[in-house]
Amino acid sequence: MNDEKHFTSFIVKYFRHHPEFGALVGLVIVFIGFSLTATRFLTIDSFSGIVTIASELGIVAAGVTFLMIAGEFDLSVGSVFGFSAMLFAVSAANGIPLLISLILALLAAAGIGFLNGYITVHFQIPSFITTLGAQMLWRGVLLAITGGFSVRYREESTVLAVLNSNLWGEFRTSAIWFFAIILFLNFVLLRTQYGNATYATGGNKEAARILGISVNKVKIINFIICSVLAGLAGCIQFARFGSVDPVRGQGMELEAIAAVVVGGTLMTGGYGNLVGTLLGVLLIGMLRSGLIMAGAPAYWYQAFVGLILIIAVILNTNIKRWSLK
Amino acid sequence: MKNNRNLIEMKEIFKHFGTVTALKNVNFNVQNNEIVGLVGDNGAGKSTLIKILTGVFPPDKGEILFEGKKINLSSPKIARDLGIETVHQNLALIDLMSIARNFFLGREPVKNLGGIINILDKDKIENVTEKALKDIGINVRSIDEEVSVLSGGERQSVAIGRAIHFGAKLLVLDEPTAALSIKESQKVLDYVLEARNRGLSVIFITHNIYHVYSVADRFTILEHGEKLGDFRKDEICTEDLIEVIRCGKKIERKVN
Repeated sequence: MNDEKHFTSFIVKYFRHHPEFGALVGLVIVFIGFSLTATRFLTIDSFSGIVTIASELGIVAAGVTFLMIAGEFDLSVGSVFGFSAMLFAVSAANGIPLLISLILALLAAAGIGFLNGYITVHFQIPSFITTLGAQMLWRGVLLAITGGFSVRYREESTVLAVLNSNLWGEFRTSAIWFFAIILFLNFVLLRTQYGNATYATGGNKEAARILGISVNKVKIINFIICSVLAGLAGCIQFARFGSVDPVRGQGMELEAIAAVVVGGTLMTGGYGNLVGTLLGVLLIGMLRSGLIMAGAPAYWYQAFVGLILIIAVILNTNIKRWSLK
Repeated sequence: MKNNRNLIEMKEIFKHFGTVTALKNVNFNVQNNEIVGLVGDNGAGKSTLIKILTGVFPPDKGEILFEGKKINLSSPKIARDLGIETVHQNLALIDLMSIARNFFLGREPVKNLGGIINILDKDKIENVTEKALKDIGINVRSIDEEVSVLSGGERQSVAIGRAIHFGAKLLVLDEPTAALSIKESQKVLDYVLEARNRGLSVIFITHNIYHVYSVADRFTILEHGEKLGDFRKDEICTEDLIEVIRCGKKIERKVN
Protein backbone atom coordinates (compact mmCIF):
# COMPACT_ATOMS: atom_id res chain seq x y z
CA MET A 1 0.00 0.00 0.00
CA ASN A 2 2.67 2.42 1.10
CA ASP A 3 4.95 1.31 -1.70
CA GLU A 4 2.21 2.01 -4.17
CA LYS A 5 1.81 5.51 -2.81
CA HIS A 6 5.54 6.12 -3.04
CA PHE A 7 5.54 4.88 -6.58
CA THR A 8 2.67 7.20 -7.56
CA SER A 9 4.30 10.20 -5.94
CA PHE A 10 7.57 9.38 -7.66
CA ILE A 11 5.85 9.20 -11.04
CA VAL A 12 4.00 12.44 -10.39
CA LYS A 13 7.15 14.22 -9.25
CA TYR A 14 9.11 12.93 -12.21
CA PHE A 15 6.37 14.07 -14.53
CA ARG A 16 6.42 17.57 -13.11
CA HIS A 17 10.00 18.05 -14.20
CA HIS A 18 9.73 16.01 -17.39
CA PRO A 19 6.97 17.18 -19.70
CA GLU A 20 8.00 14.54 -22.22
CA PHE A 21 7.09 11.65 -19.94
CA GLY A 22 3.56 11.16 -21.31
CA ALA A 23 4.78 11.07 -24.89
CA LEU A 24 7.38 8.47 -23.97
CA VAL A 25 4.71 6.21 -22.50
CA GLY A 26 2.51 6.73 -25.56
CA LEU A 27 5.38 5.95 -27.89
CA VAL A 28 6.14 2.68 -26.08
CA ILE A 29 2.49 1.62 -26.16
CA VAL A 30 2.08 2.40 -29.88
CA PHE A 31 5.38 0.68 -30.61
CA ILE A 32 4.32 -2.50 -28.83
CA GLY A 33 0.90 -2.34 -30.46
CA PHE A 34 2.29 -2.19 -34.00
CA SER A 35 4.99 -4.73 -33.26
CA LEU A 36 2.24 -7.20 -32.50
CA THR A 37 -0.20 -6.27 -35.25
CA ALA A 38 1.82 -5.03 -38.23
CA THR A 39 4.03 -7.41 -40.13
CA ARG A 40 7.27 -5.80 -41.33
CA PHE A 41 6.93 -3.12 -38.65
CA LEU A 42 10.07 -4.29 -36.88
CA THR A 43 12.41 -3.72 -39.82
CA ILE A 44 15.08 -1.16 -40.62
CA ASP A 45 13.09 -0.02 -43.65
CA SER A 46 10.08 0.68 -41.54
CA PHE A 47 12.08 2.68 -39.00
CA SER A 48 13.84 4.71 -41.65
CA GLY A 49 10.45 5.50 -43.16
CA ILE A 50 9.17 6.70 -39.80
CA VAL A 51 12.26 8.83 -39.22
CA THR A 52 11.97 10.39 -42.69
CA ILE A 53 8.37 11.43 -42.06
CA ALA A 54 9.18 12.55 -38.53
CA SER A 55 12.19 14.64 -39.56
CA GLU A 56 10.34 16.95 -41.92
CA LEU A 57 7.37 17.39 -39.60
CA GLY A 58 9.72 17.56 -36.63
CA ILE A 59 11.72 20.54 -37.84
CA VAL A 60 8.44 22.45 -38.15
CA ALA A 61 7.28 21.20 -34.77
CA ALA A 62 10.55 22.24 -33.12
CA GLY A 63 9.91 25.85 -34.07
CA VAL A 64 6.27 25.62 -33.03
CA THR A 65 7.41 24.32 -29.62
CA PHE A 66 9.79 27.19 -29.09
CA LEU A 67 7.08 29.69 -29.92
CA MET A 68 4.41 27.91 -27.90
CA ILE A 69 6.61 27.98 -24.78
CA ALA A 70 6.78 31.75 -25.23
CA GLY A 71 2.99 31.73 -25.16
CA GLU A 72 2.15 32.14 -28.85
CA PHE A 73 0.85 30.10 -31.76
CA ASP A 74 1.77 29.88 -35.39
CA LEU A 75 -0.90 28.53 -37.71
CA SER A 76 0.94 29.76 -40.78
CA VAL A 77 3.83 27.26 -40.67
CA GLY A 78 2.19 25.01 -43.27
CA SER A 79 1.87 27.91 -45.70
CA VAL A 80 5.41 29.10 -44.97
CA PHE A 81 6.58 25.51 -45.56
CA GLY A 82 5.00 25.56 -49.01
CA PHE A 83 5.92 29.16 -49.79
CA SER A 84 9.62 28.73 -49.01
CA ALA A 85 9.82 25.43 -50.87
CA MET A 86 8.20 27.03 -53.91
CA LEU A 87 10.47 30.06 -53.77
CA PHE A 88 13.49 27.76 -53.50
CA ALA A 89 12.33 25.65 -56.43
CA VAL A 90 11.38 28.55 -58.71
CA SER A 91 14.60 30.38 -57.96
CA ALA A 92 16.69 27.25 -58.60
CA ALA A 93 14.77 26.44 -61.79
CA ASN A 94 15.60 29.96 -63.03
CA GLY A 95 19.30 29.31 -62.73
CA ILE A 96 20.03 31.14 -59.50
CA PRO A 97 22.69 29.21 -57.53
CA LEU A 98 21.09 26.78 -55.10
CA LEU A 99 22.74 28.15 -52.02
CA ILE A 100 21.50 31.65 -52.80
CA SER A 101 18.05 30.27 -53.61
CA LEU A 102 18.00 28.54 -50.24
CA ILE A 103 19.03 31.71 -48.43
CA LEU A 104 16.33 33.66 -50.28
CA ALA A 105 13.72 31.10 -49.25
CA LEU A 106 14.80 31.25 -45.60
CA LEU A 107 14.89 35.06 -45.64
CA ALA A 108 11.35 35.12 -46.96
CA ALA A 109 10.32 32.79 -44.14
CA ALA A 110 12.08 35.03 -41.61
CA GLY A 111 10.26 38.04 -43.03
CA ILE A 112 6.89 36.34 -42.68
CA GLY A 113 7.79 35.33 -39.11
CA PHE A 114 8.78 38.88 -38.28
CA LEU A 115 5.49 40.21 -39.66
CA ASN A 116 3.50 37.64 -37.67
CA GLY A 117 5.36 38.62 -34.51
CA TYR A 118 5.29 42.35 -35.06
CA ILE A 119 1.57 42.44 -35.83
CA THR A 120 0.73 40.18 -32.89
CA VAL A 121 2.79 42.16 -30.41
CA HIS A 122 2.20 45.73 -31.54
CA PHE A 123 -1.49 45.56 -32.34
CA GLN A 124 -2.08 43.17 -29.44
CA ILE A 125 -3.94 40.65 -31.53
CA PRO A 126 -4.13 36.97 -30.51
CA SER A 127 -1.51 35.12 -32.55
CA PHE A 128 -4.18 32.56 -33.40
CA ILE A 129 -5.84 35.23 -35.54
CA THR A 130 -2.68 36.85 -36.91
CA THR A 131 -1.27 33.57 -38.09
CA LEU A 132 -4.61 32.24 -39.33
CA GLY A 133 -4.69 35.31 -41.53
CA ALA A 134 -1.08 34.74 -42.55
CA GLN A 135 -1.86 31.11 -43.35
CA MET A 136 -4.60 32.09 -45.79
CA LEU A 137 -2.69 35.08 -47.15
CA TRP A 138 0.52 33.23 -48.08
CA ARG A 139 -1.26 30.15 -49.32
CA GLY A 140 -3.40 32.40 -51.48
CA VAL A 141 -0.38 34.25 -52.83
CA LEU A 142 1.30 30.94 -53.57
CA LEU A 143 -1.71 29.58 -55.48
CA ALA A 144 -2.25 32.83 -57.35
CA ILE A 145 1.34 33.21 -58.48
CA THR A 146 1.85 29.61 -59.56
CA GLY A 147 -1.62 29.29 -61.02
CA GLY A 148 -1.82 25.98 -59.22
CA PHE A 149 0.99 24.35 -61.19
CA SER A 150 3.83 22.50 -59.55
CA VAL A 151 7.52 23.16 -60.16
CA ARG A 152 10.21 20.56 -60.75
CA TYR A 153 13.95 20.71 -60.31
CA ARG A 154 15.99 17.56 -60.59
CA GLU A 155 19.62 18.59 -61.04
CA GLU A 156 22.29 16.97 -58.93
CA SER A 157 23.71 19.38 -56.37
CA THR A 158 25.61 19.43 -53.12
CA VAL A 159 23.09 21.77 -51.52
CA LEU A 160 20.24 19.35 -52.19
CA ALA A 161 22.40 16.43 -51.08
CA VAL A 162 23.22 18.12 -47.78
CA LEU A 163 19.59 19.09 -47.25
CA ASN A 164 18.10 15.69 -47.89
CA SER A 165 19.68 12.60 -49.45
CA ASN A 166 20.25 9.01 -48.56
CA LEU A 167 22.91 8.69 -45.94
CA TRP A 168 22.86 5.14 -44.75
CA GLY A 169 20.39 2.65 -46.13
CA GLU A 170 17.12 4.52 -46.23
CA PHE A 171 18.12 6.90 -43.46
CA ARG A 172 18.45 10.44 -44.79
CA THR A 173 20.40 13.59 -43.97
CA SER A 174 17.11 15.22 -42.99
CA ALA A 175 17.23 13.12 -39.82
CA ILE A 176 20.54 14.75 -38.89
CA TRP A 177 19.07 18.21 -39.42
CA PHE A 178 16.11 17.24 -37.26
CA PHE A 179 18.12 15.81 -34.37
CA ALA A 180 20.67 18.62 -34.47
CA ILE A 181 17.93 21.28 -34.39
CA ILE A 182 16.14 19.56 -31.54
CA LEU A 183 19.36 19.25 -29.53
CA PHE A 184 20.42 22.80 -30.20
CA LEU A 185 17.07 24.38 -29.38
CA ASN A 186 16.67 22.26 -26.25
CA PHE A 187 20.10 23.40 -25.14
CA VAL A 188 19.17 27.04 -25.74
CA LEU A 189 15.93 26.55 -23.86
CA LEU A 190 17.34 24.87 -20.78
CA ARG A 191 20.82 26.32 -20.50
CA THR A 192 20.83 29.92 -21.69
CA GLN A 193 19.46 33.26 -20.58
CA TYR A 194 17.39 33.39 -23.72
CA GLY A 195 15.75 30.09 -22.83
CA ASN A 196 14.91 31.41 -19.39
CA ALA A 197 13.45 34.53 -20.95
CA THR A 198 11.33 32.36 -23.26
CA TYR A 199 9.89 30.33 -20.39
CA ALA A 200 9.26 33.49 -18.37
CA THR A 201 7.55 35.26 -21.27
CA GLY A 202 5.15 32.36 -21.73
CA GLY A 203 4.73 31.71 -18.03
CA ASN A 204 3.83 35.20 -16.87
CA LYS A 205 4.28 38.06 -19.28
CA GLU A 206 3.70 40.82 -16.75
CA ALA A 207 6.10 39.40 -14.16
CA ALA A 208 8.73 38.86 -16.82
CA ARG A 209 8.39 42.48 -17.91
CA ILE A 210 8.77 43.75 -14.34
CA LEU A 211 11.95 41.67 -14.07
CA GLY A 212 13.42 43.44 -17.07
CA ILE A 213 12.79 40.91 -19.84
CA SER A 214 11.81 42.44 -23.18
CA VAL A 215 8.88 40.11 -23.70
CA ASN A 216 7.90 41.62 -27.05
CA LYS A 217 11.39 41.11 -28.42
CA VAL A 218 11.45 37.51 -27.20
CA LYS A 219 8.12 36.84 -28.88
CA ILE A 220 9.10 38.38 -32.20
CA ILE A 221 12.40 36.46 -32.26
CA ASN A 222 10.56 33.22 -31.53
CA PHE A 223 8.07 33.93 -34.32
CA ILE A 224 11.04 34.33 -36.65
CA ILE A 225 12.71 31.11 -35.44
CA CYS A 226 9.45 29.23 -35.90
CA SER A 227 8.91 30.57 -39.39
CA VAL A 228 12.50 29.99 -40.56
CA LEU A 229 12.37 26.38 -39.38
CA ALA A 230 9.10 25.87 -41.26
CA GLY A 231 10.76 27.31 -44.37
CA LEU A 232 13.82 25.10 -43.90
CA ALA A 233 11.63 22.03 -43.54
CA GLY A 234 9.88 22.96 -46.77
CA CYS A 235 13.21 23.21 -48.59
CA ILE A 236 14.32 19.90 -47.08
CA GLN A 237 11.18 18.17 -48.30
CA PHE A 238 11.63 19.71 -51.73
CA ALA A 239 15.15 18.25 -51.82
CA ARG A 240 13.61 14.81 -51.26
CA PHE A 241 10.88 15.03 -53.93
CA GLY A 242 12.56 17.27 -56.49
CA SER A 243 9.25 18.98 -57.01
CA VAL A 244 6.83 21.17 -55.14
CA ASP A 245 3.17 21.94 -55.63
CA PRO A 246 1.31 24.97 -54.28
CA VAL A 247 -0.66 23.03 -51.67
CA ARG A 248 2.49 21.57 -50.12
CA GLY A 249 2.41 21.74 -46.33
CA GLN A 250 -1.33 22.22 -46.10
CA GLY A 251 -2.60 20.93 -42.76
CA MET A 252 0.94 20.63 -41.46
CA GLU A 253 0.41 23.33 -38.84
CA LEU A 254 -2.17 21.22 -37.05
CA GLU A 255 -0.06 18.08 -37.23
CA ALA A 256 2.87 20.03 -35.80
CA ILE A 257 0.77 21.49 -32.99
CA ALA A 258 -0.57 18.00 -32.25
CA ALA A 259 2.98 16.63 -31.99
CA VAL A 260 4.05 19.49 -29.71
CA VAL A 261 1.08 19.11 -27.41
CA VAL A 262 1.42 15.32 -27.28
CA GLY A 263 5.02 16.03 -26.28
CA GLY A 264 3.80 17.76 -23.13
CA THR A 265 4.20 21.43 -24.00
CA LEU A 266 1.36 23.52 -22.57
CA MET A 267 -0.75 25.42 -25.12
CA THR A 268 -0.86 28.28 -22.64
CA GLY A 269 2.92 28.62 -22.63
CA GLY A 270 5.67 28.55 -20.05
CA TYR A 271 6.12 24.80 -19.88
CA GLY A 272 7.50 22.13 -22.18
CA ASN A 273 10.64 21.10 -23.99
CA LEU A 274 11.90 19.75 -27.29
CA VAL A 275 12.58 16.21 -26.18
CA GLY A 276 8.81 15.91 -25.76
CA THR A 277 8.32 17.24 -29.27
CA LEU A 278 10.86 14.73 -30.61
CA LEU A 279 8.87 11.92 -29.03
CA GLY A 280 5.54 13.40 -30.13
CA VAL A 281 6.73 13.64 -33.73
CA LEU A 282 8.07 10.06 -33.68
CA LEU A 283 4.74 8.93 -32.28
CA ILE A 284 2.87 10.60 -35.14
CA GLY A 285 5.34 9.25 -37.71
CA MET A 286 4.96 5.78 -36.25
CA LEU A 287 1.17 6.00 -36.42
CA ARG A 288 1.28 6.99 -40.06
CA SER A 289 3.57 4.14 -41.14
CA GLY A 290 2.26 1.62 -38.67
CA LEU A 291 -1.38 1.97 -39.66
CA ILE A 292 -0.54 1.45 -43.30
CA MET A 293 1.57 -1.59 -42.47
CA ALA A 294 -1.18 -2.95 -40.26
CA GLY A 295 -3.39 -2.80 -43.34
CA ALA A 296 -5.70 -0.03 -42.10
CA PRO A 297 -7.05 2.32 -44.77
CA ALA A 298 -5.02 5.54 -44.86
CA TYR A 299 -8.00 7.54 -43.64
CA TRP A 300 -7.67 6.07 -40.19
CA TYR A 301 -4.42 7.90 -39.66
CA GLN A 302 -6.12 11.25 -39.05
CA ALA A 303 -8.65 9.70 -36.70
CA PHE A 304 -5.91 8.11 -34.63
CA VAL A 305 -3.87 11.29 -34.41
CA GLY A 306 -6.99 13.07 -33.19
CA LEU A 307 -7.67 10.43 -30.60
CA ILE A 308 -4.10 10.40 -29.31
CA LEU A 309 -4.05 14.19 -29.17
CA ILE A 310 -7.12 14.30 -26.96
CA ILE A 311 -5.88 11.52 -24.67
CA ALA A 312 -2.48 13.20 -24.40
CA VAL A 313 -3.94 16.57 -23.46
CA ILE A 314 -6.24 15.03 -20.85
CA LEU A 315 -3.31 13.19 -19.29
CA ASN A 316 -0.83 16.05 -19.54
CA THR A 317 -3.02 18.73 -18.01
CA ASN A 318 -4.43 16.48 -15.31
CA ILE A 319 -1.18 14.90 -14.20
CA LYS A 320 0.21 18.42 -14.05
CA ARG A 321 -2.70 19.43 -11.84
CA TRP A 322 -2.36 16.38 -9.57
CA SER A 323 1.35 16.93 -9.25
CA LEU A 324 0.74 20.42 -7.92
CA LYS A 325 -1.53 19.25 -5.15
CA MET B 1 26.57 70.15 1.51
CA LYS B 2 23.98 67.53 0.78
CA ASN B 3 21.63 66.13 3.26
CA ASN B 4 22.73 62.52 3.37
CA ARG B 5 20.38 61.43 6.08
CA ASN B 6 17.62 61.09 3.55
CA LEU B 7 17.81 58.16 1.17
CA ILE B 8 14.84 59.39 -0.75
CA GLU B 9 12.98 62.65 -0.66
CA MET B 10 9.81 63.39 -2.59
CA LYS B 11 8.93 67.06 -2.55
CA GLU B 12 5.58 68.70 -3.22
CA ILE B 13 4.29 65.90 -5.39
CA PHE B 14 1.10 66.47 -7.36
CA LYS B 15 -0.66 63.93 -9.54
CA HIS B 16 -3.98 64.16 -11.36
CA PHE B 17 -5.85 61.53 -13.31
CA GLY B 18 -8.26 63.51 -15.43
CA THR B 19 -10.26 65.57 -12.98
CA VAL B 20 -9.36 63.40 -10.02
CA THR B 21 -6.60 64.68 -7.82
CA ALA B 22 -4.70 61.62 -6.67
CA LEU B 23 -1.91 63.44 -4.83
CA LYS B 24 -1.87 67.01 -3.60
CA ASN B 25 1.31 68.58 -2.39
CA VAL B 26 2.68 65.46 -0.74
CA ASN B 27 6.08 65.48 0.89
CA PHE B 28 7.47 62.07 1.66
CA ASN B 29 10.90 60.99 2.73
CA VAL B 30 12.70 57.87 3.88
CA GLN B 31 15.96 57.99 5.76
CA ASN B 32 18.83 55.60 5.52
CA ASN B 33 18.22 52.40 7.41
CA GLU B 34 14.66 53.31 8.30
CA ILE B 35 11.39 51.42 8.03
CA VAL B 36 8.54 53.73 7.10
CA GLY B 37 4.95 52.57 7.26
CA LEU B 38 2.90 54.19 4.53
CA VAL B 39 -0.67 53.92 5.75
CA GLY B 40 -4.08 55.21 4.84
CA ASP B 41 -7.46 53.93 3.73
CA ASN B 42 -8.31 52.73 0.24
CA GLY B 43 -7.93 55.51 -2.30
CA ALA B 44 -5.69 57.54 -0.04
CA GLY B 45 -3.00 57.77 -2.72
CA LYS B 46 -0.51 55.23 -1.35
CA SER B 47 -0.27 53.27 -4.57
CA THR B 48 -0.03 56.39 -6.69
CA LEU B 49 2.83 57.69 -4.58
CA ILE B 50 4.66 54.37 -4.81
CA LYS B 51 4.11 54.09 -8.54
CA ILE B 52 5.75 57.47 -8.96
CA LEU B 53 8.61 56.35 -6.75
CA THR B 54 9.16 53.15 -8.73
CA GLY B 55 9.04 54.85 -12.11
CA VAL B 56 5.69 53.51 -13.32
CA PHE B 57 4.51 57.04 -14.14
CA PRO B 58 5.86 60.55 -13.50
CA PRO B 59 4.34 63.14 -11.14
CA ASP B 60 2.61 66.20 -12.63
CA LYS B 61 4.62 68.43 -10.37
CA GLY B 62 7.27 68.01 -7.71
CA GLU B 63 10.76 66.66 -7.51
CA ILE B 64 12.43 63.51 -6.25
CA LEU B 65 15.86 63.32 -4.66
CA PHE B 66 17.72 60.05 -4.20
CA GLU B 67 20.77 60.17 -1.94
CA GLY B 68 20.60 63.94 -2.17
CA LYS B 69 20.61 64.06 -5.98
CA LYS B 70 17.71 65.05 -8.12
CA ILE B 71 16.55 62.13 -10.26
CA ASN B 72 14.16 61.56 -13.11
CA LEU B 73 12.38 58.25 -12.65
CA SER B 74 11.15 57.73 -16.18
CA SER B 75 10.97 53.92 -16.10
CA PRO B 76 10.84 51.02 -13.63
CA LYS B 77 14.26 49.95 -14.86
CA ILE B 78 15.83 53.26 -13.81
CA ALA B 79 14.35 52.85 -10.35
CA ARG B 80 15.69 49.32 -10.14
CA ASP B 81 19.14 50.36 -11.27
CA LEU B 82 19.20 52.94 -8.49
CA GLY B 83 18.44 50.21 -5.97
CA ILE B 84 14.72 50.69 -5.49
CA GLU B 85 13.27 47.16 -5.47
CA THR B 86 9.54 46.70 -5.31
CA VAL B 87 7.83 43.57 -4.11
CA HIS B 88 4.47 43.86 -5.80
CA GLN B 89 1.24 42.54 -4.47
CA ASN B 90 1.23 40.09 -7.36
CA LEU B 91 4.86 39.26 -6.71
CA ALA B 92 6.47 39.03 -10.15
CA LEU B 93 7.12 35.30 -9.86
CA ILE B 94 6.70 32.83 -12.70
CA ASP B 95 4.63 29.93 -11.36
CA LEU B 96 5.90 27.29 -13.74
CA MET B 97 9.59 28.01 -13.15
CA SER B 98 11.74 26.77 -10.31
CA ILE B 99 12.54 28.89 -7.28
CA ALA B 100 16.18 29.12 -8.32
CA ARG B 101 15.32 30.22 -11.85
CA ASN B 102 12.86 32.77 -10.52
CA PHE B 103 15.44 34.11 -8.10
CA PHE B 104 17.85 35.02 -10.87
CA LEU B 105 15.35 35.75 -13.62
CA GLY B 106 16.45 38.67 -15.75
CA ARG B 107 19.97 38.74 -14.29
CA GLU B 108 21.23 35.20 -14.63
CA PRO B 109 24.93 34.57 -14.08
CA VAL B 110 26.51 33.00 -17.15
CA LYS B 111 29.73 31.28 -18.00
CA ASN B 112 31.29 31.06 -21.41
CA LEU B 113 31.35 27.75 -23.16
CA GLY B 114 34.32 27.46 -25.51
CA GLY B 115 34.22 31.12 -26.46
CA ILE B 116 31.05 30.60 -28.49
CA ILE B 117 28.00 30.72 -26.32
CA ASN B 118 27.15 31.97 -22.85
CA ILE B 119 25.38 29.36 -20.80
CA LEU B 120 23.64 29.65 -17.46
CA ASP B 121 25.93 29.04 -14.54
CA LYS B 122 23.61 26.49 -12.97
CA ASP B 123 25.82 25.74 -9.98
CA LYS B 124 26.05 29.38 -9.10
CA ILE B 125 22.32 29.91 -9.58
CA GLU B 126 21.52 27.02 -7.28
CA ASN B 127 24.17 27.66 -4.65
CA VAL B 128 23.57 31.37 -4.38
CA THR B 129 19.79 30.99 -4.24
CA GLU B 130 20.03 28.35 -1.53
CA LYS B 131 22.48 30.38 0.52
CA ALA B 132 20.75 33.72 0.06
CA LEU B 133 17.39 32.38 1.15
CA LYS B 134 18.89 30.55 4.10
CA ASP B 135 20.85 33.63 5.21
CA ILE B 136 17.72 35.71 5.35
CA GLY B 137 16.03 32.93 7.28
CA ILE B 138 13.82 31.61 4.52
CA ASN B 139 13.36 27.87 4.38
CA VAL B 140 11.98 26.22 1.30
CA ARG B 141 11.92 22.49 0.73
CA SER B 142 13.92 22.58 -2.44
CA ILE B 143 14.98 25.36 -4.75
CA ASP B 144 14.21 23.08 -7.69
CA GLU B 145 10.53 23.16 -6.81
CA GLU B 146 8.27 25.18 -9.00
CA VAL B 147 6.95 28.35 -7.45
CA SER B 148 3.39 27.12 -8.01
CA VAL B 149 3.77 24.57 -5.19
CA LEU B 150 4.60 27.26 -2.62
CA SER B 151 2.16 28.80 -0.16
CA GLY B 152 1.37 32.51 -0.22
CA GLY B 153 3.86 33.18 2.56
CA GLU B 154 6.61 31.19 0.90
CA ARG B 155 6.07 33.04 -2.34
CA GLN B 156 6.24 36.35 -0.50
CA SER B 157 9.44 35.16 1.16
CA VAL B 158 11.09 34.28 -2.11
CA ALA B 159 10.14 37.63 -3.63
CA ILE B 160 11.42 39.56 -0.60
CA GLY B 161 14.55 37.41 -0.41
CA ARG B 162 15.26 38.16 -4.04
CA ALA B 163 14.82 41.90 -3.52
CA ILE B 164 17.07 41.92 -0.44
CA HIS B 165 19.73 39.81 -2.09
CA PHE B 166 20.08 41.94 -5.17
CA GLY B 167 21.45 44.84 -3.24
CA ALA B 168 18.41 47.03 -3.06
CA LYS B 169 18.88 50.20 -1.07
CA LEU B 170 15.19 50.76 -0.73
CA LEU B 171 12.74 47.92 -0.45
CA VAL B 172 9.13 48.77 -1.28
CA LEU B 173 6.64 46.23 0.04
CA ASP B 174 3.09 46.58 -1.21
CA GLU B 175 0.67 44.91 1.22
CA PRO B 176 3.13 42.12 2.00
CA THR B 177 0.99 40.53 4.69
CA ALA B 178 -2.38 40.69 2.96
CA ALA B 179 -3.83 37.19 2.56
CA LEU B 180 -1.17 35.56 4.76
CA SER B 181 -1.74 33.43 7.83
CA ILE B 182 -0.70 34.80 11.23
CA LYS B 183 2.42 32.63 11.29
CA GLU B 184 3.42 33.58 7.78
CA SER B 185 2.80 37.26 8.45
CA GLN B 186 5.15 37.09 11.41
CA LYS B 187 7.84 35.61 9.20
CA VAL B 188 7.44 38.37 6.65
CA LEU B 189 7.74 40.95 9.44
CA ASP B 190 10.97 39.25 10.51
CA TYR B 191 12.35 39.62 7.00
CA VAL B 192 11.53 43.31 7.07
CA LEU B 193 13.58 43.70 10.24
CA GLU B 194 16.32 41.60 8.69
CA ALA B 195 16.38 43.94 5.70
CA ARG B 196 16.95 46.91 8.02
CA ASN B 197 19.70 45.01 9.84
CA ARG B 198 21.40 44.71 6.49
CA GLY B 199 21.31 48.46 6.05
CA LEU B 200 18.31 48.73 3.74
CA SER B 201 15.49 51.18 4.04
CA VAL B 202 11.97 49.85 3.74
CA ILE B 203 8.63 51.34 2.74
CA PHE B 204 5.87 49.17 4.11
CA ILE B 205 2.46 49.85 2.59
CA THR B 206 -0.47 48.28 4.35
CA HIS B 207 -3.94 48.48 5.82
CA ASN B 208 -2.90 46.37 8.74
CA ILE B 209 -1.81 48.86 11.39
CA TYR B 210 -0.85 46.15 13.85
CA HIS B 211 1.57 44.55 11.44
CA VAL B 212 3.22 47.75 10.40
CA TYR B 213 3.32 49.13 13.92
CA SER B 214 5.41 46.23 15.17
CA VAL B 215 8.24 46.91 12.73
CA ALA B 216 8.13 50.50 11.47
CA ASP B 217 10.20 53.38 12.85
CA ARG B 218 7.90 56.03 11.47
CA PHE B 219 4.50 56.35 9.85
CA THR B 220 3.31 58.55 7.05
CA ILE B 221 -0.45 58.82 6.83
CA LEU B 222 -2.21 59.71 3.59
CA GLU B 223 -5.85 60.59 3.20
CA HIS B 224 -7.61 61.64 -0.02
CA GLY B 225 -4.29 62.41 -1.67
CA GLU B 226 -2.98 64.58 1.13
CA LYS B 227 -0.55 63.86 3.85
CA LEU B 228 -2.13 63.92 7.30
CA GLY B 229 1.15 63.71 9.07
CA ASP B 230 4.36 61.96 9.94
CA PHE B 231 4.72 60.29 13.30
CA ARG B 232 7.65 58.60 14.90
CA LYS B 233 6.73 55.43 16.66
CA ASP B 234 7.30 56.95 20.09
CA GLU B 235 4.90 59.80 19.26
CA ILE B 236 1.84 57.73 18.58
CA CYS B 237 0.25 54.48 19.71
CA THR B 238 -1.64 52.05 17.48
CA GLU B 239 -5.05 53.24 18.69
CA ASP B 240 -4.29 56.85 17.83
CA LEU B 241 -2.90 55.79 14.48
CA ILE B 242 -6.08 53.93 13.64
CA GLU B 243 -8.10 56.87 14.91
CA VAL B 244 -6.32 59.29 12.58
CA ILE B 245 -6.86 57.04 9.58
CA ARG B 246 -10.49 56.43 10.53
CA CYS B 247 -11.39 60.08 11.10
CA GLY B 248 -9.25 61.37 8.26
CA LYS B 249 -8.28 64.44 10.20
CA LYS B 250 -4.97 65.97 10.93
CA ILE B 251 -4.50 65.63 14.62
CA GLU B 252 -3.13 68.37 16.67
CA ARG B 253 -0.03 67.23 18.47
CA LYS B 254 -1.10 66.21 21.90
CA VAL B 255 0.89 68.00 24.47
CA ASN B 256 1.52 65.75 27.39
